[in-house]
Amino acid sequence: MTNSPKSSESVVIERTFDAPLAVIWSMWTDPVHFKAWYGPTGASIPVAEMDVKVGGTRHICMEMQTPNGPMRMWFTGEYVDVVANRRLVFTESMADEDGNPVSPTTMGMPASHPVTTEVRVELEDIDGKTRMVLTHIGIPSDSPGAAGWVIAFDKLAAYIDRAGR
Amino acid sequence: MPTALEDEKLSETFSALANSTRRALLARLAEGAATVNELAEPFDMTLPAVSKHLKVLERAGLVMRGRHAQFRPCSLDAEPLREVASWTEQYRHVWEARLDRMDDYLKQLGADNTSTDDTSRRSTTSP
Repeated sequence: MTNSPKSSESVVIERTFDAPLAVIWSMWTDPVHFKAWYGPTGASIPVAEMDVKVGGTRHICMEMQTPNGPMRMWFTGEYVDVVANRRLVFTESMADEDGNPVSPTTMGMPASHPVTTEVRVELEDIDGKTRMVLTHIGIPSDSPGAAGWVIAFDKLAAYIDRAGR
Repeated sequence: MPTALEDEKLSETFSALANSTRRALLARLAEGAATVNELAEPFDMTLPAVSKHLKVLERAGLVMRGRHAQFRPCSLDAEPLREVASWTEQYRHVWEARLDRMDDYLKQLGADNTSTDDTSRRSTTSP
């Protein structure tokens, strides 16, 4: 059953890649490599600015083709923890072209989407292969505007659960 | 395994939900099936305007329409909403797909490396 969405939820994905630590690290920290895999199929990453150091900022642009022409989405964030080949932690928020955060609902996301999320990438060498544990955590927002939307969406979710088969 | 098609389906669900009238229509349908006339009643909108919103919801798989020509009552299909109800569910799909692409890209890099097979150019962390 679907519980009420909570923004403090997280996604944890574990994978092992057949490549050494340094290569996997570069997938996240070298814009050339990052652009090659990050965007969804049919999308491109025209901008990937990454100042990979604690306190450094990142600014990512994703361009998607829609029936109404190309649509650009911007993301901004800050590196929280950087240990080369071991651990990379950064925050992420939807943003505008200048890197100013915008609310997810403005971007058509449901209110259950947290305003800021944190991505943690932890790497471990396993006999020349790399085990990656990726954790994407929602950081609860205090914004009253967001709360209103969450209540509306929770109500709808409750209706749906009742209406559900 | 999530596919591009599933990604696309989710985007469609999101854009269908990104409209207060359509969310209100869904909330109404959550209480039970209704005809377009019944749905239009509480809104200060023309029937064609309501129909247009319903078409968007229908395309996103959120609303089903009956096949009886005259009445065609609408009902809610909650399944796509379950998928997007939690942002983590959506991101799980996104990340799984991303990591699939990372894996493909790594294989591509690996293939390029072995085909050039030059020990002086082993660095994949360049440029």
